[in-house]
Amino acid sequence: MDILAGLGQGFAVALQPINLLYCFIGVFIGTLVGVLPGIGPVSAMSLLLPVTLSGTPESGIIMMAGIYYGSMYGGSTTSILVNIPGEAASVVTCLDGHAMAKQGRAGPALGIAALGSFAAGTFAIVALMLVAPTLARVAIAFGPPEYFSLMVLGLTILSFLSQGSMAKALLMAAFGILLGLIGMDQITAQARLTFDRLELLDGIGLVPVVMGLFGVAEILSNLERELKREVIQARIGGLWPSLADWAAAKWAVLRGTVLGFFLGILPGGGAVIASFASYALEKKISRTPERFGKGAIEGVAGPEAANNAAAGGAFIPLMTLGIPPNVVMALLLGAFIIHGLQPGPLLMTQKPDLFWGIVASMYIGNAMLLVLNMPLIGMWVQVLKLPYRVLFPLILMFCVVGVFASGNAVFDVFVMVMFGVLGYLMRKFGYEPAPLVLAFVLGPMLENNLRKSLILSHGDFTIFIERPISATCLVLAAVALAAPLLPALARRRARVAMDQT
Amino acid sequence: MIRNSELWGGLFWLAIGAFVVWAGREMGLGRLHEPGPGFAFFWIGLLMSALSLGIVGQALVSGGPPLSSLWAGTRWGKVLVVTGLLLIYGVGFEAIGFIPCTLALLLVLMWFVDPVDWWLAPIIAVAATFGVWAAMTKWLKIQLPAGIMAGILG
Repeated sequence: MDILAGLGQGFAVALQPINLLYCFIGVFIGTLVGVLPGIGPVSAMSLLLPVTLSGTPESGIIMMAGIYYGSMYGGSTTSILVNIPGEAASVVTCLDGHAMAKQGRAGPALGIAALGSFAAGTFAIVALMLVAPTLARVAIAFGPPEYFSLMVLGLTILSFLSQGSMAKALLMAAFGILLGLIGMDQITAQARLTFDRLELLDGIGLVPVVMGLFGVAEILSNLERELKREVIQARIGGLWPSLADWAAAKWAVLRGTVLGFFLGILPGGGAVIASFASYALEKKISRTPERFGKGAIEGVAGPEAANNAAAGGAFIPLMTLGIPPNVVMALLLGAFIIHGLQPGPLLMTQKPDLFWGIVASMYIGNAMLLVLNMPLIGMWVQVLKLPYRVLFPLILMFCVVGVFASGNAVFDVFVMVMFGVLGYLMRKFGYEPAPLVLAFVLGPMLENNLRKSLILSHGDFTIFIERPISATCLVLAAVALAAPLLPALARRRARVAMDQT
Repeated sequence: MIRNSELWGGLFWLAIGAFVVWAGREMGLGRLHEPGPGFAFFWIGLLMSALSLGIVGQALVSGGPPLSSLWAGTRWGKVLVVTGLLLIYGVGFEAIGFIPCTLALLLVLMWFVDPVDWWLAPIIAVAATFGVWAAMTKWLKIQLPAGIMAGILG
């Protein structure tokens, strides 16, 4: 009953004209950045973070959330029609989606991707609505040791699941924590690694770091190689899948939804992992695995459902524990903090209109996305034909404007350029930016909870293993750390990393 | 061995790790029951140094791609030019102003770095610059530097 009352309150907020507008802008921009290769939800959200300041917290966060789940929808269009994923979670959709398009079945591939995404997105919202209040009640019992260990687990899992060397991923996580700690110490007010620059006393801004590592670095990487895009020229035709397509895809959608939702909740997990796991699962249980990669509709339906369900599931740790499980949620945390709000177990009781407003807006946004992605597919195809040489100067301009607007300081533009070059070099040398950014956001919380735990225990580290939740998290983190040493797990991890490249 | 990119990557992070260890000690480690401001820095620096040493060790044992191969066959000159242009843009942004700087940046990028049709570049540059300026200053009420155009823009 509480849930229904809350949802009613949420719809009252989400259906306000201004929030409907922000929701529409969010899912529209999300679909656009999903469609366009070279700019993803992370760049788009950091770009628009300053824009959220001009409205109410509800409007801003509704828009940011819309960009995230909107990009999951839009990403499939590029994968299917151009064989270039619009964003990382749609990489696997290229395999069978583009094969279907080459066989003249682009319509059903796009249709099943949109309908599967809608079904999965809706399931994830219902599950979020049911699970979040219970988890929030449990989370109230969390103290500093539990928070510290949970964050350690999140960073370790993210490093474990990163492509390539785990040592490099852990190194990036450590560097991210370090960057997050630059600025004034929260307890002693001592300046730390500020090099006498006043601009650094408040720490390095999230927006310049993210825009540099994801926006500018992506452009620099794309510029040095020719991007070849070949949009399927044949008429796309009817989008509605046939009965046979439905029969083949329905269980894949269901399995992808459930799997994606749970992988989305896991700290360090997310839409990318979910889509790959779903594809692997579908191929494994199929009676005709040889069809995969050659236009199997299950290979489109499962991963697309999984990445959308994961996008919904990822809201749970953020909303209930205040801990972002991935980079996109870290940005959303930034949006909350900009508005003076702290997501966590108390959000539901202290700001129920905000919490339920976001949940209700996701129902509305999902319906908007179905409308945007089914009848307007022709428009997105036209957008795809924009050459990159026209796009990249505009993206660069938006990066500079977004970064300047976030802090009203040119210093931030230089920080962005510096991180852009660093991100470009990191890609060259095989270092991933995702653990760095997540650790950058978690760094201050991690240090704060570590210091509080040690003060509480009078310097006794056993506080982290005496508490069951904390001990469980640390054991799981230790297993993830030890995994590369076990041959079977190391092979599996290498396979996941190879699949992702 | 000296051209091994993995080795140089590892050494770079090792140097940063070592610096952070030193900086953490300088800030003050405090005691275990009352950690000081440098406590976390010190331990993170040690962790970074240990991980970097692992990467360096791996590079010495197993080797790695040569540095030159990372840029072989790429258009790396464009990367240098765009980075330089962004830095120049940052220097002039406040003094010269958003509109002239952005117009110049977009035109240089579209005429010289990755050229589009010569007549198309000014249309896109003008529309994008003035569109963004209007959206930011009029709609979102976010001030962008007027610079030399302060008199004209008010």
